[in-house]
Amino acid sequence: MSIASLRRYLSLASSISRLVKPSLGGNGYAASSTYALQTVGLNVYYGGRKILDNVNLAVPRNTVFAIMGPSGSGKSTLLRVFNRLVELAPNARVEGRVLLFGRNIYDPSVDPMEVRRQVGMVFQNPNPFPHLSIYDNVALGPRLNGLARNGEELDRLVEWALRKAALWDEVRDRLHEPATRLSGGQQQRLCIARAIALKPRVLLMDEPTANLDPESSRRIEQLIVELRDDVTVVVVTHSPGQAARISDHVAFLFSGRIVEVGPTREVFTRPRSELTERFITGALG
Amino acid sequence: MDGRRLLDKLFKATVVALSVAVLLPLFHIVGTIIYEGGRTLLEGGLGFLAGPPPLGIGPALAGSAVLVVLTTLLGVPVAFLTAVLAVEYPESLVGRAAKLLSKSFVEIPTILVGVLMYTLIVVPMGSFSALAGASALAVVILPYVYTYVEEALSSIPRTYREAAFSLGLTRAKALVHVFMGIARRGIATGILIGVAKAAGETAPLLFTIGGGTQTYFRGLGAPIDAVPLLIYQYVQMPSEAYHRTAWGAALVLTLLYLAVFVAVRRAVKEVKY
Ligand SMILES: Nc1ncnc2c1ncn2[C@@H]1O[C@H](COP(=O)(O)OP(=O)(O)OP(=O)(O)O)[C@@H](O)[C@H]1O
Ligand SMILES: [Mg+2]
Repeated sequence: MSIASLRRYLSLASSISRLVKPSLGGNGYAASSTYALQTVGLNVYYGGRKILDNVNLAVPRNTVFAIMGPSGSGKSTLLRVFNRLVELAPNARVEGRVLLFGRNIYDPSVDPMEVRRQVGMVFQNPNPFPHLSIYDNVALGPRLNGLARNGEELDRLVEWALRKAALWDEVRDRLHEPATRLSGGQQQRLCIARAIALKPRVLLMDEPTANLDPESSRRIEQLIVELRDDVTVVVVTHSPGQAARISDHVAFLFSGRIVEVGPTREVFTRPRSELTERFITGALG
Repeated sequence: MDGRRLLDKLFKATVVALSVAVLLPLFHIVGTIIYEGGRTLLEGGLGFLAGPPPLGIGPALAGSAVLVVLTTLLGVPVAFLTAVLAVEYPESLVGRAAKLLSKSFVEIPTILVGVLMYTLIVVPMGSFSALAGASALAVVILPYVYTYVEEALSSIPRTYREAAFSLGLTRAKALVHVFMGIARRGIATGILIGVAKAAGETAPLLFTIGGGTQTYFRGLGAPIDAVPLLIYQYVQMPSEAYHRTAWGAALVLTLLYLAVFVAVRRAVKEVKY
């Protein structure tokens, strides 16, 4: 295995962390008294097939939590459990508890729409709504969820979200152009703006840089780290390098099971499982 | 010239010949309509469009307009809702039933739909009526509109559905603000096909609207005339004057089709991904 590449991940990770916000002290988990998300005995099935097997995780507030694992390990499924999007698949079944700030979102009394308003999502391929302008892509959620009382307030909210997504300066003069005219990287930042315009408490990101060029990827990684002040970010990646660069905590998912989870620094320097070590050194798939 | 090049040429020639053979009758029909109908239109002028039969098609034209509007009001919402149910709740009983029923409606001969409405509406009401005609036409256009709308909605990439729901939108809001927006061209085309069918069908009207009226619109419960029915009846008449009117009516129908199609296709822009 290459110690050098590991070192590179780590120094990058900590330098970005330090740049933006001091990283969590001590054992990491202690820095936050409550968790944004917690899963307890989570199993997910598609039809008869078990996709996630007894997943137990805790995501501390205002941190970046990375879920890494090889293709098909269930990362996207796990992410879609957190906003109940998994239920769009008619044959999906979820067992166990998923706590969002302490409340089980799979309790029958919970409205999935309400959950999704609090838990935003960014997808693997940039998917701004193709029939809407840049402005309307961001404004749609707040408008339909009654988050702005008037046009002025909506304008301010849209600008706020676009600034947070580091896109404002590039689009301020073309807000009413179709969103599809933006470049791939810009489209993905627009999707981030669309998600955070609802002021969610958690932001889920499913391989947000998988289809972007290196420069766009770098910008988005930087953005993720900055967003941590406003929301708890759960980001899926198949790249251990990315997990090391941007996350405070990391979980390694393999065949639907959590092989290892902990503060990123620990997992990358002293992986407890040989499987984890093989994955982060690139010796696996 | 070697064999392969010869074969290639032969193949191309065959394709061209076959295409011409297919298109020739179509061009012939359109050409004849324009020529013959054009003469009638030029001679008759406004009197042809607005006047009473046998030299004018005013009542039939007005009747067709009423029938098209009424049919659209009756048929399109039903077709649209059925398509939405089939796409949004494909596993549910309602969704599956919607799919099955709408598809099998295509198989019913349109003349039978007319007979059905005759027994259901004309007989109880004691009179041919615009309502009976529009009901028959609504049943006839249902599967066409349904098929287009269903196709348009179900071909929306999954990622946009997920994005809409990830914003906490209800199904209804996602449908109206996202799915219908993305699928707008397919939906508009479906409605257009419905309107065109409603304007052009003859068989469903044979036992329902009465036709042959000398007067303009007299109410939904009263008999009414329609352009295709007028054409159907006039070409069977022994006199040349009737034939001329039928040609003119055919041209008017064709022009209306074209105008509506071009207008709507232009107004509703395609959504590019
Ligand atoms: N709707 C579905 N119905 C049935 N099986 C599914 C469905 N969605 C996903 N799966 C299966 O669940 C497993 C996990 O898929 P998932 O998309 O969560 O993996 P992933 O870790 O995100 O992979 P990748 O890195 O390729 O995105 C895969 O074997 C996949 O085929
Ligand atoms: Mg995935």
